[in-house]
Amino acid sequence: MNKPYNNKAWLGVLPVLLIVAFSGVVPLMTVVNYSVQDILDFNSRFFVGFQWYSETLQDARFIEAFLRQLGFSASVLIIEIPLGLMLARGMPRQGLSASLLLVLLAIPLLIPWNVVGTIWQLYARSDIGLLGVGLNALGFGYNYTADPIHAWLTLLAMDVWHWTSLVALLAFAGLTSVPTAYYQAAELDGASKWQVFRYVELPRLKGVLVIAVLLRLMDSFMIYTEPFVLTGGGPGNATTFLSQHLATMAVGQFDLGPAAAFSVIYFLFILLFCWIFYSSVVREND
Amino acid sequence: MASIQLDELSFRYPGAVEDTLAPLSLNVADGTAFSLLGASGAGKTTLLNLLSGLLMPTSGRIFFDAHEVSTLAGRQRNVAQVFQFPVLYESMSVSENLAFPLRARKFDPGWIRQRVERIAAELEITQQLPLVAAQLSLFQKQLVAIGRALVRPDVSVVLLDEPLTAVEPRMKWRLRQTLRRVQEELGVTMIYVTHDQTEALTFADQVAVMADGGLLQVGTPEQIYSTPSHEFVGYFIGSPGMNFVAVEHLAQPLELLPNTCRVGFRPEWAELCADEDGQLRGAVRSMQLTGTHGGIATGVVRIDMTAGEIAVRGRLEVDIGQSVGVHLQHHLCYSEQGRLLTTHDE
Repeated sequence: MNKPYNNKAWLGVLPVLLIVAFSGVVPLMTVVNYSVQDILDFNSRFFVGFQWYSETLQDARFIEAFLRQLGFSASVLIIEIPLGLMLARGMPRQGLSASLLLVLLAIPLLIPWNVVGTIWQLYARSDIGLLGVGLNALGFGYNYTADPIHAWLTLLAMDVWHWTSLVALLAFAGLTSVPTAYYQAAELDGASKWQVFRYVELPRLKGVLVIAVLLRLMDSFMIYTEPFVLTGGGPGNATTFLSQHLATMAVGQFDLGPAAAFSVIYFLFILLFCWIFYSSVVREND
Repeated sequence: MASIQLDELSFRYPGAVEDTLAPLSLNVADGTAFSLLGASGAGKTTLLNLLSGLLMPTSGRIFFDAHEVSTLAGRQRNVAQVFQFPVLYESMSVSENLAFPLRARKFDPGWIRQRVERIAAELEITQQLPLVAAQLSLFQKQLVAIGRALVRPDVSVVLLDEPLTAVEPRMKWRLRQTLRRVQEELGVTMIYVTHDQTEALTFADQVAVMADGGLLQVGTPEQIYSTPSHEFVGYFIGSPGMNFVAVEHLAQPLELLPNTCRVGFRPEWAELCADEDGQLRGAVRSMQLTGTHGGIATGVVRIDMTAGEIAVRGRLEVDIGQSVGVHLQHHLCYSEQGRLLTTHDE
């Protein structure tokens, strides 16, 4: 059979191409352009090739920030994914209590990032904050502005508070799509609670869990506002993650070339992680 | 396997005004292929859920053999169920699916392997054993689901909730034959819920017809067809269903039992005759060809009478609009309440 070819259809794609070009490709290419130049001011700039890239990759502060970032993102995923799953499994599937819990879960997600940072900044203060004063009253000697470990744990607690809801909501949506007959069959088969989770629920949650992991990975990898408000990257550099380091370079020191190279590397890393994760899961599916 | 006894079993949803299931008693002998037949809303699925332990009875008791199981949870009852759509552990292979109920109950691994192979051979799915469940066709999936219900040797009863609903029509017949053969070979007690009379009558040794949360008649397919104990049963079963005519519309006298309000007859129990000869008279409204017999077209003739429409099976040797008589070769008598009258009632 002869397929009719109509190349006019390409015109239909044009608006999308334009939007994507202006929102994504053009800004990104600007950054790529900056990353291969040394910019002194508007009129004097010269081409330096990959110098900024090799300098960034050898920069001790970049490597430290990168490792911190990996540690943070990994902790976030290790805590939030299982916790969100447990929350979703423990929730009633329908009725008034289910609706109330859903609203309650959604509240942290509706609060702007910098407000979350401010809330926790006040909450954790060791002089007036409920958490800080409470922990100190219990004898922990808690002070997140001075102790790097305390700062870390506070930041982690804040992220868990802020984003576990997202995982729980996604998992809940996945769980409600499991027909009751599957639970009934497992009950009659004599399946244990773990087996019900492993063989009935998990296979059907796979799709939403992939989304949840990707979202949390990308978001935590790009975290900026909350640590900026809560700890300002300190004490010392203990909570300076990649984007904070980048902001210091680009906005604080106005090193546009190295900052652009940093951005491109940063972007490629996120892309790489997501690609590795996604393709490994999808390949397993086939 | 076990016999099943229901003793005045009833169910009412919390807060509801009426019983979903009126108190009913029923015995199912060990190794019977039993069918629950009724329109949707008749209470079939409620009864099934009471048997599987998904619902707990409001009153009454359930016995498997001599053991009362009324308040036991599903996993303690030793029942297996096949659902309307194939319910499988989709990430497992077919053999893992079949072995799952046995592994959960800690049977010997070597024995499990033999048993899985035996059941797979019975259902002719041996070749599919290594495949992952998600790769199978709908028909094969339902076969595996049936296999998983049959695999446990200690199961008291296998419940089937309209298991052919999702299967394509040309496969239904095959699956029903397979089910019936396996039921006989393994001697399983099966309760098969359906709204399809053909499925019920061809599958079961015993059929229970349900309506409005109660049992109307329990009997062999033969009994249910030839002596419906209630007008609803007669009308519901058969295609077309039984005809019922009030006695005052009989044109000629007929042998009747006392208190007869309506006579009932199957379309094949009557024959067309000359206008003035029949017990019933009317005009031919339509004819439906179903086949030929001795070179003459036969089928269903629908006749308009003053009292309504009746259907007669036979030769299509009449014209639309023609006045005809209907002669009843056999008939049953029904009371005002629609109950079958017998000579014992006198």
